[in-house]
Amino acid sequence: MYKYFLSWRYMRARRTNLIGVVGIGVGVGALIMILSIMTGFLEETKKSLRGGLSDIILETDQRMFRDGRRVPHSPAPLLEAVRADPRVAGACAQLSWFGMLTQGGSRSAYATEQLADPQKGNLSGVRLFGIDVQDEYQTTELRAALARTPLLGDERVADLDDPFAPPEGYVPDGRPLASCLVGEQLASEWRLRRGSEIWITTALIDAKSGEVHPSDRRFVVAGTFRSGENEMDLQRIYLARAELSDFLGTGREYSQVLVRLKDYERDGTDVQLDFQSTLTQQGLVPRPEFVRTWEDYRRPLLGAIENERVLMAIMLSLVVVVAAFTVFAILSMMVTEKRRDIGILSALGATGPGITGLFVLIGFWDTLLGATGGAILGVLGAVYIDPFERGLSHTIGVEIFNRKVYLFDHIPAIVNPVWVGVIVLGAFVIALLFALVPAWKAGRLHPLDALRYE
Amino acid sequence: MPKVRPVATDSLIAARGIVKSFQIADRTLEVLHGVDLDVKRGELVALMGASGAGKSTLIQVMGLLDRPTSGKVLLDGSDAWELPLAERAALRNRAIGFVFQFYHLLPELNAVENVLLPAMIGNSWSGYKQRAKEFKDRARGMLVKFGLEQRLDHRPAQLSGGERQRVAIARALFLDPKMIIADEPTGNLDSATGERVLELLLTEQHERGVSLLLVTHDERLAAHCQRIVRMEDGRVV
Repeated sequence: MYKYFLSWRYMRARRTNLIGVVGIGVGVGALIMILSIMTGFLEETKKSLRGGLSDIILETDQRMFRDGRRVPHSPAPLLEAVRADPRVAGACAQLSWFGMLTQGGSRSAYATEQLADPQKGNLSGVRLFGIDVQDEYQTTELRAALARTPLLGDERVADLDDPFAPPEGYVPDGRPLASCLVGEQLASEWRLRRGSEIWITTALIDAKSGEVHPSDRRFVVAGTFRSGENEMDLQRIYLARAELSDFLGTGREYSQVLVRLKDYERDGTDVQLDFQSTLTQQGLVPRPEFVRTWEDYRRPLLGAIENERVLMAIMLSLVVVVAAFTVFAILSMMVTEKRRDIGILSALGATGPGITGLFVLIGFWDTLLGATGGAILGVLGAVYIDPFERGLSHTIGVEIFNRKVYLFDHIPAIVNPVWVGVIVLGAFVIALLFALVPAWKAGRLHPLDALRYE
Repeated sequence: MPKVRPVATDSLIAARGIVKSFQIADRTLEVLHGVDLDVKRGELVALMGASGAGKSTLIQVMGLLDRPTSGKVLLDGSDAWELPLAERAALRNRAIGFVFQFYHLLPELNAVENVLLPAMIGNSWSGYKQRAKEFKDRARGMLVKFGLEQRLDHRPAQLSGGERQRVAIARALFLDPKMIIADEPTGNLDSATGERVLELLLTEQHERGVSLLLVTHDERLAAHCQRIVRMEDGRVV
């Protein structure tokens, strides 16, 4: 009984214990908060990375098979084969190529001039995606990206069902231009609005002669989209697939087919393996490694975020270790300070293990208060991080979380109760291990040495 | 082989052939040289001697605080130093009460809590909780009887020397031990306060019939005892 009573009393009586409590609280709270935010970031990033890709990507490189065959020029056979699988919810063909965006001239001569002197600026490397709108809507998150409230000025398309329709009020100067959809960040950087005209320049290599042929064409901006992924919103331009194919003039109709599954988590790997064997056998995909899941595709980036989360966890765990060391230091001081009390307790019938238990319990109360308080603050901090950040940014007049950089309109945080439990349990284990050393020394003190201590 | 004195049937505690030596560097210092001492049930014994005679060492051995180099301490006939650690601690908790010269109260606890300490140490959480009210009433009752009714919630730092020693006596008597070992209980008090504390200790000893082994330098104090044992150079003379 005395162990509980005295440990609590000693804990309350010695203000230095507060240092340990606060230290553990800060460590646990920071760990929970940061891990929740990192998990939120990871999940949001996964969502946005997946959004433009769908579940499975079939790259249909035009290279020859080993037996000299080539994949069909038209995506129809591949789309048909993919859609025949009952696990597939939708599929779309895309034609992608690179290009350079220039603006400010109405002649291709301007683009050539720009290309001749890249130091002049006003050039942006872009990825051109030729798409079939309705297939794309069934397969990727493009519809959501077009509908999403913009962060940087509202230049959304007028009609989601026909996003390539000429923008309202657009009066073509001569032959009407084909429409394109531009990422929100790119549009903002280039001050593009609905109806703005842009020059897109690209270069194609003649497979036979090896010569590079520049090509350019004007397009009109039909609207912007916000996918939430930096790379997409800064570099991607959507065109009608037929329009891009015509612009490139190589006869290529598609470069990849994206597939959305009904249940990716359940079927993803199986479908990938099935497609790797069947589609290559049918001559629709050149090699098995060209059938990839979206995670294979984004592995380096996802791996980097995951690594960052693990590193953060390790670094912040050190805060808990430092706090536990504080508990060790405080208890060591207390054992020295309480030597006489230890002697008195021994004289009154306390055993060495009992006295060890008394001091371990002081460490336990420190940890209990610190870890509980830290867990509550950490969870609250993670849940209310967004309003807190907004309030703090407003108060100090500095934008702490730049929503334009991360392209999230809020700071994402996902509190995982299992993680919270593991962190609290970990804090207990570490702090109690540290508390055990001075407590064990206290239990080994000779009662008479302790009684003589003044 | 040395002849071991037989233990009398009415003996509560008996020290037999107690030798205690300390190792200081490469020298062995023997402070008790085969001491025999009996204290009968309800007996009041004064242990006297000059400083360094070995009085304190002897009571520490008999109080189960310090293991003798050789010899036995027979409490109710059984050798207490042969008992396992936990049983010996329990014996110290229930059978022996200590009163120290410097009171040795816990500064974080008030008077009542200090008196309750032996009961807290001797009982589990549930065992103590079941009897908590009984224990608290008893502790308060003892302190009121000892004239500390205004000091129940006071901490040691708020009490005078005499009051502290009265709290220490209440703590020593709380679990009705068979024996009290008092090491110079008035040594840190002025003579008037010391007289009152001694009177309280002797009254309680008489009323409860508890054995009292009183270590003192003071002949006047020793004169109150039934028997005086004198020590000199680690031997009973």
